[in-house]
Amino acid sequence: MQFKVGDLAEMLEGEVLRTTDNNSVVVKIGGKQHTLQLLKSGTDEFEFLLDNSFHHAKILQVGTAEVKMMIDGQPLVVKKHSKLTEVLEKASAIGGVGGGDRNLTSQIPGRVVNIAAKPGTEVKKGDVIVVLESMKMQVAVKAHKDGNLKEIKVKQGTSVARNDVLAVIE
Amino acid sequence: MSKKITSILIANRGEIALRVIRACRDLGIKSIAIYSDEDIRAVHVKRADEAYHIGPAAPAQSYLNMTKIVETAKTAGADAIHPGYGFLSENENFSEMCDKNGIIFIGPTSKAMELTGDKMKCKAVMKKAKVPTVPGSDGIVEDMQEAADIADEAGYPVLLKSAFGGGGRGIRLANDEKQLRQEFEMASAESRAAFGKAALFVEKYLERIRHIEFQLIRDSHGNSRHLFERECSIQRRHQKLIEMSPSPVVDQKTRERIGEIAVRAVDAVDYLNAGTAEFLRDPQGNFYFIEINSRLQVEHPVTELVTGLDLVKLQIGVAQGEELTFKQQDLKMNGCAIECRINAEDPFYEFAPSTGIVPNCNLPYGPGIRVDTYLYPGCNVSGYYDSLVAKLLAWGRNFDESRIRMKNALDEFMIEGINTTIPLYKTIMDDPNFIKGELSTDYLERFKILNKMREDAKEAAKKSAKAAVAAVLLQSGFVRKTEAIHQSSMTKSNWKMMRG
Repeated sequence: MQFKVGDLAEMLEGEVLRTTDNNSVVVKIGGKQHTLQLLKSGTDEFEFLLDNSFHHAKILQVGTAEVKMMIDGQPLVVKKHSKLTEVLEKASAIGGVGGGDRNLTSQIPGRVVNIAAKPGTEVKKGDVIVVLESMKMQVAVKAHKDGNLKEIKVKQGTSVARNDVLAVIE
Repeated sequence: MSKKITSILIANRGEIALRVIRACRDLGIKSIAIYSDEDIRAVHVKRADEAYHIGPAAPAQSYLNMTKIVETAKTAGADAIHPGYGFLSENENFSEMCDKNGIIFIGPTSKAMELTGDKMKCKAVMKKAKVPTVPGSDGIVEDMQEAADIADEAGYPVLLKSAFGGGGRGIRLANDEKQLRQEFEMASAESRAAFGKAALFVEKYLERIRHIEFQLIRDSHGNSRHLFERECSIQRRHQKLIEMSPSPVVDQKTRERIGEIAVRAVDAVDYLNAGTAEFLRDPQGNFYFIEINSRLQVEHPVTELVTGLDLVKLQIGVAQGEELTFKQQDLKMNGCAIECRINAEDPFYEFAPSTGIVPNCNLPYGPGIRVDTYLYPGCNVSGYYDSLVAKLLAWGRNFDESRIRMKNALDEFMIEGINTTIPLYKTIMDDPNFIKGELSTDYLERFKILNKMREDAKEAAKKSAKAAVAAVLLQSGFVRKTEAIHQSSMTKSNWKMMRG
């Protein structure tokens, strides 16, 4: 299995070779062999030794092809890459944007303080559509692509959560 | 007029409320906390001797609700109110309300606050006291000719500022008289359209400036002392990020000279209690007074670390009418202290606010490390209040020791559940310009620090890459006999394994 770690360009290959006696496994990561010894595991949390280094991993979110974690206190996303994911990625690029791409979502929880664009108008990527307020700061939510602003799904005063759909751009 | 304070209501929340509570406990004073709906499980509520609910989450209905707070103070029998910083700390009406209700306000008099709150009036008072101010108009400029005359005297480039509309709005730059004329026309029109009148003033534009402030304390007997400087040049959108003492460009002679000027400034406004005189320093070494902050500031621990003083205890003492016991020459600067403001913002995503529960956190410890925070495992970081979640301080015998201690403390600091600005500070601690002391208020842009931070994150990801992959192998069950490992590591103890 190939893994894409964070923004690193090179993929890392990872596989388990064999288990040894004392609760260790021998793994091959990035072309080299390492000993992986699990010390403690709980719900979504692992403490392990990779060769002679101690590591702590907390799994935050597991998607079909990616794992969001805190590794040694640092947030990191690891994407699993198989032949299947490659095929799917190519297909979506050719077929144009899927339904999910129409939605302009909020990256943060907050309150809508200003609607900065008119539904039915043409917008360009980067245009401010909605302004949210959180922690006494104002954050501008910008259009993620060019297109027609079909609909704004919130109004002034609405409270939004992370990933809520704010507007639809086609 | 001396009154012994036996109980204090803290009109604030978060880390500063906890700070004041700690000083109260040190002095055997009863601490009374207030909290909104949002803060019912906050640490300051847990630590205070008594806690009173004062309203819903929104600040206007809780921490800014003067009437409710004074009412609560009377119900609770508080002798005094400590306003912390922000909220009502510089509100002269609140200070007066406390006076009228026989409650000691731990801070300056409402009269002094009114004066320091009006920048133009304050500037005029400073000029009289021969405190150097930013060259420019003493008040509103009547017409273009006056603006041009003042600009000539102050020297271009100049800023044209609107007397109304704060927060950086209505500030225009003019590099010569022709540009000034153009900007004046536009600014006047804008000002008239928005506020009905064209109220502008002219100020010399200082470039490559450092923000250097002096901590001050003045008692009710007229004794003023300065507690040295803090350099706060590293900022973003006029919000301080890092503060330190001493400043890399302030030697003992300068410290004494500007300290004496700062003392003159607080004397000129008949100030009371703790405050800070802010200066801008140009690359030629000239200091210009800009304003007095009439409150205890966020960065006060920096001064506490290099002087050994407890500023909150000093505030309480002064509020009780006590006279300062130390002379200016008794004070000595010891070592170097740096503070990093840890904010719940994502520095990789335009500093977007980050809120929610912090399931777990690991605070740094060790020699010279101090953390002022309201965080604890399971606490809530709310979107109703500001984004400061912790102040991380490092003291060392010299700058390098404090810088390296800070770097390592940042590595130890782990906060789960929210994004924080910790990665930004890690990059800055290793930045050669920071190490050289090459600071100015445009430091972040000047040295492209955010780009460096992204590069550093890539390097860090490289180091953790293999461990991350190992974690995924463990998580996705690629490791066969994972079940067996779970069982054995949880049921058997190490002793048994060794014997077996």
